Amino acid sequence: MGINMTINRLPAPTWNWLHVNEAALSVADTPAEGQVKAETPDSIQYYKEETTPSCFAQIPTGLGEELDALFTQCGALTRIWEIAPGVKESEPVRLHFSYQDGAVWQNRIGILAGENSAITVVMDFCGEVEGFAAVQTKIAAGKGAKVRLVQIQKLQDGFTFLNDVGTSCGEGAQIETIQIMLGGGDTYMGMRTDLGARAARLESKIGYLLNKKESLDMNYLAYHTGAKTTSQMDVSGVLRGESKKIFRGTIDFRHGSVGAKGDEKEDVLLLSDGVANRTVPLILCEEEDVEGNHGATIGRLDESLLFYLSSRGIEEKEIYEMMARARIDALCADIADEKTRCLVQRCLG
Amino acid sequence: MKEKTMVEDINRSVYDIKNEETDVYRMRAGLTPEIVSQISDEKHDPEWMREFRQKSLQIYNKIPVPDWGPSIEGLNMDKIATYVRTNTDMKASWDEVPDDIKKTFDLLGIPQAEKESLAGVGAQYDSELVYHNVRADVAAKGVVYTDMESALNGEYAGMVKSHFMKLVPPTDHKFAALHGAVWSGGSFVYVPPGVKVDIPLQSYFRLNAAGAGQFEHTLIIVDEGADLHFIEGCSAPKYNVANLHAGCVELFVGKNARLRYSTIENWSKNMYNLNTKRARVEAGGRVEWVSGSFGSHVSYLYPMSILNGDGARAEFTGVTFAGKGQNLDTGAKMVHNAPNTSSYMNTRSISKSGGISTFRSSVVVNPKARHSKSSVSCQSLMLDRISRSDTIPAMDIRTPDADIGHEAKIGRISDEAVFYLMSRGIPEDEARAMIVSGFADNVSKELPVEYAVEMNNLIRLEMKGSIG
Repeated sequence: MGINMTINRLPAPTWNWLHVNEAALSVADTPAEGQVKAETPDSIQYYKEETTPSCFAQIPTGLGEELDALFTQCGALTRIWEIAPGVKESEPVRLHFSYQDGAVWQNRIGILAGENSAITVVMDFCGEVEGFAAVQTKIAAGKGAKVRLVQIQKLQDGFTFLNDVGTSCGEGAQIETIQIMLGGGDTYMGMRTDLGARAARLESKIGYLLNKKESLDMNYLAYHTGAKTTSQMDVSGVLRGESKKIFRGTIDFRHGSVGAKGDEKEDVLLLSDGVANRTVPLILCEEEDVEGNHGATIGRLDESLLFYLSSRGIEEKEIYEMMARARIDALCADIADEKTRCLVQRCLG
Repeated sequence: MKEKTMVEDINRSVYDIKNEETDVYRMRAGLTPEIVSQISDEKHDPEWMREFRQKSLQIYNKIPVPDWGPSIEGLNMDKIATYVRTNTDMKASWDEVPDDIKKTFDLLGIPQAEKESLAGVGAQYDSELVYHNVRADVAAKGVVYTDMESALNGEYAGMVKSHFMKLVPPTDHKFAALHGAVWSGGSFVYVPPGVKVDIPLQSYFRLNAAGAGQFEHTLIIVDEGADLHFIEGCSAPKYNVANLHAGCVELFVGKNARLRYSTIENWSKNMYNLNTKRARVEAGGRVEWVSGSFGSHVSYLYPMSILNGDGARAEFTGVTFAGKGQNLDTGAKMVHNAPNTSSYMNTRSISKSGGISTFRSSVVVNPKARHSKSSVSCQSLMLDRISRSDTIPAMDIRTPDADIGHEAKIGRISDEAVFYLMSRGIPEDEARAMIVSGFADNVSKELPVEYAVEMNNLIRLEMKGSIG
């Protein structure tokens, strides 16, 4: 049975000839429940729900409604990790997704953080096989809660991977995400964060290395409806071979987001003739007292940096390699958990 | 009640002059093959143009309306008269232009500007030009500046045929097809190799008729090493029925040539402005767009520059001011098709009193455009919380040697800046108007001083009553 979906829709479409308004995807079979190996600290409760709890059902995601519908059609159960109010756990929840040849899998994850709690969830998606997997992660962060989500992806050519995230934030809640994509055939990533309560905060960092014919299609949305909310999206990556990437990043200031701030930054290094980089950074605004910024640099390295390093006797090719790796190393340094940092370094080789 | 702003020196009624339709020919409203054929008769079209119009109409009927921009539901082509002309020929002396029309252009300051600072003027009233003149010394250099109908049927017919709607084919989008079917009026300019026109040429488009469309075609060819500044102005009185402007501008910039194309658009706020502008720039050539968008109910306006030759350059400098009842979707498109090309976009948009302003852009760098550079900077100012301002840029980069930068900012008038000016004795409303004028100075400083003054007056006019 084939399932056709339209995902990663741009919230305000632009010219159709640019082919950036959405992504079309066809899934050959209905995905089955995938295996997850979990390491859960004692302070965190783990359980499964066959129907999506209402606190997660209301949360929209970056890839969009049609993927939600696919999960429902699959009868996907939700695996939930819940941390009680006031509990701050420094040890992360570790979720390992190891894919097998020919897999057509789906997993739905829920992270429920009570008031003033702190939780870190590390997910790694690995497999040296061909296949398909869709993972949807929904985060409900209560008032003053702090949720860190770290995702590492190292997949192979011929693997189609959908990584879909949706978050909602209570007053003063903080969501921090680090997503590192180090390989995969066709990858679709999306994250939508609803900053609906006062002083809620999002900090999202994304790094990727694309090679050969890999493709990466991203859709990131920060919806500001609460006063004094802040969002920061930093995207940094490298394209080689004949790889393709599209980044859609939207900061949407809705009525009520008085005093909100949103920033997007993108830095893309292009290293081969056959690459295709597309960037669509949107700022939508219907509130007066807000501040939104976007900045992008795409292409070559800055000439003054190149000159500086060349004058130290480093070959240009070596400089580019060094700076490509530096993008991931910089992200890696922001990961508090040593095991995860080591995993990233192993994946980098 | 006394107005709160200091704008006594500006008179909006200049733009709102309405002349009675006493001695005019008005095509019946709607869009059919018969109407298009009648336009061909009126225009004395050669056979190829007759066929071109009918094919364009067929394309128009097949293409859907855009699904990505502001709503144009209020535009009903069955109620738009696509051709309206006064019963007068084009004149080369203002004294011969009918009194009411001359008076309108006098009040708009066109004849005076011609005397003081222009090398030639074309004045279009509804569907046809009523006045066209070029200075003898400029004509003596071989510069051709004439109306499109004369060019199409005269000495330059071959040149028109080989360039007309080649940059903007009717298949480009629905309103390009509409233009291909019903175009009338506009100007043809040819600047021979190496000729530099020191002072600008100007075309002014005035749409007087209610429920009508204006579809002028501007075709400019600046040959190798030549240099030209062309200014386009437009306005219309406000009616309570929809008017439509679907003009088309095609600019061919030769090797090492330079063309500056400046526009102050001040259509009335019942206007659907669905205009298409495009330039093709050859090696070493340069196109500079300077654009101020103040009028219209709905606007779709994105001048495109196609950089086809090594080292070609394009610049777009624009300001858009969307006030009450306006939804202005403006921006630019840059296409890098050759090595060492560069493009630069610098825009400002202002939203006020419920107005919607959208900056939309694209930068496409194709694989062969090695060592190309592009820089985009867009800033938006929200003057209240009932307005809206969106920024929708896109970049498609397909060579590793490119150097692409983009920055966008959105925000409000700084309270500190207003406080500073007020502490110097400037009333708050005037302080805000000054800050907005300063915000738009990227455009005003690129315009000849007379036009910069007009633009600043328009900003102050739009700011009227912005406090309280």
